[in-house]
Amino acid sequence: MSIETNLNVEQQGTGPQAWEPKILVFACNWCTYAGADLAGLSRLQYPPNIRILRVPCSGRVNPQFVIRAFQKGLDGVLVAGCHPGDCHYSTGNYFTRRRYLLTKRLLEYMGIDPQRFQVRWISGSEGPKFQQVVTQLVEEIKAMGPNRKMRDQE
Amino acid sequence: MNEITQKMRETARGLLNSGQVALVLGWEKGYPWYKSAPAFIDRGEDVDRLVFDEFCHNNLSKYLLDLVAVEGRIALFVKGCDSRGINRLIQDNQVKREQLYIIGIPCPGLKDPDDAAGKKQGDEIKDAAKCQDCRYPNPVVYDLLLGEKVPVAKRSSETQALIERLEKMKPDERYEFWAEQFSRCLRCYACRNICPACNCRECVFDRATPEWLGKANNLIENQFMHLTRAIHVAGRCIECGECERACPVNIPLMALNRKLINDIEELFGEEPAGLDPEKKTPLGRFELDDPEKFM
Repeated sequence: MSIETNLNVEQQGTGPQAWEPKILVFACNWCTYAGADLAGLSRLQYPPNIRILRVPCSGRVNPQFVIRAFQKGLDGVLVAGCHPGDCHYSTGNYFTRRRYLLTKRLLEYMGIDPQRFQVRWISGSEGPKFQQVVTQLVEEIKAMGPNRKMRDQE
Repeated sequence: MNEITQKMRETARGLLNSGQVALVLGWEKGYPWYKSAPAFIDRGEDVDRLVFDEFCHNNLSKYLLDLVAVEGRIALFVKGCDSRGINRLIQDNQVKREQLYIIGIPCPGLKDPDDAAGKKQGDEIKDAAKCQDCRYPNPVVYDLLLGEKVPVAKRSSETQALIERLEKMKPDERYEFWAEQFSRCLRCYACRNICPACNCRECVFDRATPEWLGKANNLIENQFMHLTRAIHVAGRCIECGECERACPVNIPLMALNRKLINDIEELFGEEPAGLDPEKKTPLGRFELDDPEKFM
């Protein structure tokens, strides 16, 4: 899969100074992607450590995507979608909410640090919230260092 | 021969000879003495093979998936956990209730065959892990009940103790624990094949396009397989403990399943799977006021 291959490319550099976290953001097409777009249009600065992957709905995100993301070298994963009640497909994010409450518990039980996997509701008008969430996430993960768990050794 | 076995044989003989059912699923004595295997009986004269003892572990509801071509009704003997498996399959439209004749056996709790392996018949054998804190020893769905209902005993189990021990650990220790467990996995898929919650026509692990799960047997793929399996059976697991018993390398799979069951009950207040065949599974439905702890 091409996405995995791209993500698998190790970042260049030596020593802890050169390390920069790599974070995957699953952004729902209708809210968070528009929110990220607004952040860009408004010239809001946020760290360039994120890769945005647009999905039709946050309910599209399969927990397997998250597990694979960690295995293929991501240091953090953010799933973001519309606020409950605002889903373009009426109910998609309610399923997301249940699914990821449970997945988060499961990942913690597996020993993954809870900060590395987060879920947020960011609407199309919340450009500043997108900036703030991403900045905070990057700061937290920078403080924690690279993810060594569940990493593919190849 | 115990009383339940006697009743089983009489019931099965009656059902087969009168032509009410085409097939009876039960258990027969296996080899060695601490194994009891599933028995498939379609003639009245064979019913004397049937037994019920403390090693009748197999959850017979899973076999219904292989028997869809059988014409006529199928009778099967169920313990408490197995009966919830039937409700699960009805919930998933895999079997029809009218096609089944369910004979419930109030389960006194089974013994651990691994513990019995080195012992003689008549020795003290410990309870099977899944039976130690069984919440539903009495069948929840049946046409006929053999014997009296047994009381539900509140006991502690090894599985719960392991979960509590793991929850107290630091994340790194937990990670090491599970990595050690999953690195032993042979990827034989016995846990999936025996599970009544795993009834997809084509399993995600078998799909070649897209290839969700690589064929290599390494820690990464094993982790992926086990986490995926746990999420897929979350809210559907009926706690029959068959996955753990079938596992040839003794991965504590119930510590994974049971943890998710605990979480579902705590987060969404959902009742355990397989009690109500009409209701949707916890991850297949939602409430408007579900918690949002991650916001």
